[in-house]
Amino acid sequence: MPQFDRREFLKLVGVGAGAGVATACSDPVEYLIPYVVQPEVVTPGIPNFYASTCRECSAGCGLHVKTREGRPIKLEGNPESPINRGALCGRGQAGIGRTYHPDRFQGPMRRNEKGDLEPAEWSAALADLTAKVKSGGAGVFVLGGDPGATASVQIDAWVKAVGAGGRVVYDPFAPEALRAASRLVFDVDATPIFDLSSADLVVSFANDLLETGISPTEHSRQLAEARDVRTRRDGGARFVYVGPRGSMTAENADEWLAAKPGTEGILALALARIVVERGRGSASDRSALGSLLDGFDVDAAASATGLEADSIRRLGEALAAAKSPVALAPGVAFTSRRAAATAASVLILNQLCGAVGSAVKLPPAASEPKPAASHREVLALIDSMKSGKVQVLLVHDADPLYSLSPSTGFAEALAKVPFVVSFASLPDETTARAHLVLPDHTPMESWGDVSPRPGIRSIVQPTFRPLYQTRAMVDVLLDVGRAMGGTVAAALPEGTFQALVQAAFADTDWRKTLAMGGVFGEPPSVGPVSLSPDVAKLEIEPPLLEGEGEWTLVAYPSPLLHDGRGANLPWLQEVPDPVTKIAWQSWVEVSKATAEKIGAEVGDVIAVETPFGRIEAPCLPRGALRDDVVAVAIGQGHTVGRFASRGGKQTPGEPRGVNVIAVLPSATDEANGRAWLSTKAKLSTTGRSERIAFLQTHDNQRQRQLAEAVPVSALAAAPAVSAAPSGGHGDPHGGAHGDSHGAGHSDAGHHEMLLPFDAAKDALPSSFHRWGMAIDLDRCTGCSACVVACYIENNIPIVGEDQVLRGRVMSWIRIERFVGPGVVDFVPGRPAHVDNGKLGDTDIRHLPMVCQQCGSAPCEPVCPVIATYHNDEGLNGMIYNRCIGTRYCANNCPYKVRRFNFYDYDHENWPEPMHLGLNPDVTVRGQGVMEKCTFCVQRIALGQQTAKDQKRAIADGEVTTACAQSCPTDAIVFGNLRDETSRAVQLGNDPPREYHALHMLNTRPSVTYLAKVTRGPVEA
Amino acid sequence: MSWRPLDLARPASAAFRVAPLLVALAMVALPQWALAQSSEAAKEAQRLAWDPDLPGPDQPIPFSHALHAGTYKIECLYCHSGTDRSRVAGVPSVQNCMGCHSQFGQDLEGVQILKKYWDEQKPIEWIQIHRLPEHVKFRHNRHVAAGLDCQTCHGPVQEMHKVHLVPERVWVNGMPAQKLEMGWCIHCHEAKKASIDCLTCHY
Repeated sequence: MPQFDRREFLKLVGVGAGAGVATACSDPVEYLIPYVVQPEVVTPGIPNFYASTCRECSAGCGLHVKTREGRPIKLEGNPESPINRGALCGRGQAGIGRTYHPDRFQGPMRRNEKGDLEPAEWSAALADLTAKVKSGGAGVFVLGGDPGATASVQIDAWVKAVGAGGRVVYDPFAPEALRAASRLVFDVDATPIFDLSSADLVVSFANDLLETGISPTEHSRQLAEARDVRTRRDGGARFVYVGPRGSMTAENADEWLAAKPGTEGILALALARIVVERGRGSASDRSALGSLLDGFDVDAAASATGLEADSIRRLGEALAAAKSPVALAPGVAFTSRRAAATAASVLILNQLCGAVGSAVKLPPAASEPKPAASHREVLALIDSMKSGKVQVLLVHDADPLYSLSPSTGFAEALAKVPFVVSFASLPDETTARAHLVLPDHTPMESWGDVSPRPGIRSIVQPTFRPLYQTRAMVDVLLDVGRAMGGTVAAALPEGTFQALVQAAFADTDWRKTLAMGGVFGEPPSVGPVSLSPDVAKLEIEPPLLEGEGEWTLVAYPSPLLHDGRGANLPWLQEVPDPVTKIAWQSWVEVSKATAEKIGAEVGDVIAVETPFGRIEAPCLPRGALRDDVVAVAIGQGHTVGRFASRGGKQTPGEPRGVNVIAVLPSATDEANGRAWLSTKAKLSTTGRSERIAFLQTHDNQRQRQLAEAVPVSALAAAPAVSAAPSGGHGDPHGGAHGDSHGAGHSDAGHHEMLLPFDAAKDALPSSFHRWGMAIDLDRCTGCSACVVACYIENNIPIVGEDQVLRGRVMSWIRIERFVGPGVVDFVPGRPAHVDNGKLGDTDIRHLPMVCQQCGSAPCEPVCPVIATYHNDEGLNGMIYNRCIGTRYCANNCPYKVRRFNFYDYDHENWPEPMHLGLNPDVTVRGQGVMEKCTFCVQRIALGQQTAKDQKRAIADGEVTTACAQSCPTDAIVFGNLRDETSRAVQLGNDPPREYHALHMLNTRPSVTYLAKVTRGPVEA
Repeated sequence: MSWRPLDLARPASAAFRVAPLLVALAMVALPQWALAQSSEAAKEAQRLAWDPDLPGPDQPIPFSHALHAGTYKIECLYCHSGTDRSRVAGVPSVQNCMGCHSQFGQDLEGVQILKKYWDEQKPIEWIQIHRLPEHVKFRHNRHVAAGLDCQTCHGPVQEMHKVHLVPERVWVNGMPAQKLEMGWCIHCHEAKKASIDCLTCHY
């Protein structure tokens, strides 16, 4: 090492400083690059919205894609779509990330002799494929998910035209059992449609409808409507959840019956028997049942399900007494080998309660728009692959290598196929084994149409030019067919895929339909149905589980990652699981008793062993889980993808977390659907332990009244809340605002409000606005759609697992989860994890925590540079360019909503081309700067500009925040507190329920929370 | 905000349907104009636009604002359309320039360079002169609506062959502030009683 003396050192420092100054003086040259031909509809700086359709799951929610300068930057729900009515779940919103994904294939890829994928030309790739398809003949097979209605028709036509072996539809979470049950019970081959909006009793038989059901956004909204305490002061519909695990849906129920997994059918028939005994059900239905219900008395059901006989009886009486009850059949995680029979018993219960025809709609069989997925057909295809019959396999819209169990032998079978083609736009496990990758457009770039159910035909339209050399799959297939010439070409339709989609809407005014987003009609419904006589022969038994272990393995779809397709989208990794609050990782849920038995604590890596394999992941002991169950989320354990795996981008690397599918058998149910609940497991410790990336380590709010609850009886005395405008705008400068009182109705009334206040007054007297929110905890399900919306709207950086472990997550809104009012206990040190969940406990409170824009904000006086201050409209401004990063404000914020940029995340965490999806209206923050929720001030500014241009005031509802916009249940309402008629004021004015978080600190928050309503167990 | 479907087969608007007709008419009726030699003034303006002795950077095309906005008195918003509607000032597309220059000034070097961009369908990379940092959300439309002249911030562009930042200094609360610095904005905002809330421009 060279020796420096002091003089030498100072000289060097001087040179360094001088150079620094010199570089600082010359600004880098910035360019203005206008269009060559500016599209007529594009004005730089003004967003355009295009109607499209979400392709992240099979629910088919409508989208409004916000584009700026021709680039999609945010997805919002299409208010015209009857499915999501303007809201959009987190998974749907994160779908925009596929387009700007840094891992994307930028053109066709071909595997070379060395076994690596290398770029190819489209012409060569197509010639290659054409030759293979020609020589493959009947050895050509297509395997994939639902590509949309028109695409599906075209693929079938292509398969026929080229004389291919066949097409197998593969959707790991297809509701085949439900469709089979409908065939069995009603002789109608269609998937029943559930409408919960007018129900008064909803019983979910292990169906996690709010997070991973058939249509989560729709069902969340419907349930919230049915349980709306603003208008229904008796609490509205009651909601009962039956299932072994405290899922997000269970936490939102009024009563949770923790039945043994797979016994839902037995319970449903026992309930049906009570319902029949109380005189419900038509005579013909009863005679069709024959002696089916005889074996299902309450006591037998109690011993089979592990529930108390009283609970079952009470639920049965409630079902018999309810006006419009509805029951939902088990969801993905609980489809056992008896799934069809179980779903059939739930449909029988619905029929006897009179729900079929009203809450449960049966579309005519012929109208079913989706191709039927069949797990048995997939298994048959794997057999053909193994026997060498498959020469060419075309894979689209699915990642079978990840989502099929290894015990199906798919990996070995794939190795026997000489030519595997993938149409995936993002690399996945399957593309890592493909010989040819012909990347499809992402949904933001493609044409298409989706028919999630009869009556709805939703259009997918491109919102910008494809970013890379990608092509629509159907166009590729058509080109291949045409290149084959002769009869093949003659059998194929003319024109492009776009023209074919348009032709499918020939019965409508295309331009109007396109602007609307599709054709949104009521589903056609078959007339009154009666039970088929076959139901008498129904065999209901406990599920068949393989293996010897003591625990039933429940593999459940992750609320955010779904079947694993969301794992490579950074937001879905960073936003924690709504129940366990773990991000970026896998975990094994066991009950506390189980954990004690095997001697494992939080974070101890335990092994889950079944006859089919073994996985190891950190243990998470939970109170809200049956002792005979071990639960692992599906979705992690990818080896490919920079966010999905550790280190793997386009080629496999180390997996992130574990893939629970690896230990499942290749089981099917009796209706050829996939059986997920199919094996027992053994647990053992490994002696290792890992840190779990919790975003919230405890669920005890220590009676600080962060998330409150009131019994439903407290509402009866108070009048209903009206959200309808009472005509005209109120006087913005005065008006009698009732002072808010926090005391008297809460769980623990010992906190006295020191100074009652009126949040509307905390702005300049001359200001027309004091922005505020009403957040309804009774409506919040904890789904985290708002969190994803906030991330995307506000350019919030993704920090990654390592930084999450250091507590440096950047989310501006988070959902805090608390169990009950909590207890005041002061435990020395910091326990790794506190779980107060209990089996059957439904007093779980999900609290969306945003910046409260306090009238007397503790962050403001401590800022030495006035980077945070109170503006005229009552907003707590955060001026990034003033901030010098002392972090005093964050230390002084009691709500802990301020986030600090420890690094320059903009360089590291938005690799190209992710930066193209940034919101140009929001500054990207640099290192050393504090940031926080601003009530989407850029959206307020846009609303103000529009109103000012039109010389009028901002109308209520015209400006809303990203979180409120996305909320499926309308739990967050944003508005002007100085407008007496605004929804935020009207809904917030609900004395038995309204309170302010931590109001005893006199922070004068502008967010009014409405306490969760505890409705208690169901009564007849 | 505009709510429109993206329709690639969209029929052209009335203006677009009429435009080719007008161009064709002009070509028939005014062949002398179309083929006329450019004036000496235009040639001189073009020379000055690349004059190394004038302040400001050389742009990819020797475009003279003094000629277009000064001599020919073309409205600023004619080329910079959208400035009155959007936060962002519109910069004319190559097509916009070619709208006139397919007819005029084809003997000029600058127009030939422009034509090359058009033929290659390449965008022109203009060097930005008036530049605000990313954390400033300046809104052009508001300032146009308030009746401010473009020259207030951009200087006498109609006299500049080569656009450059004209230094200007004001005193705010006893502190000097240079043009396009925050104090300079505040100076005007205070004088005109416009908002000086931080959140008006910074978010």
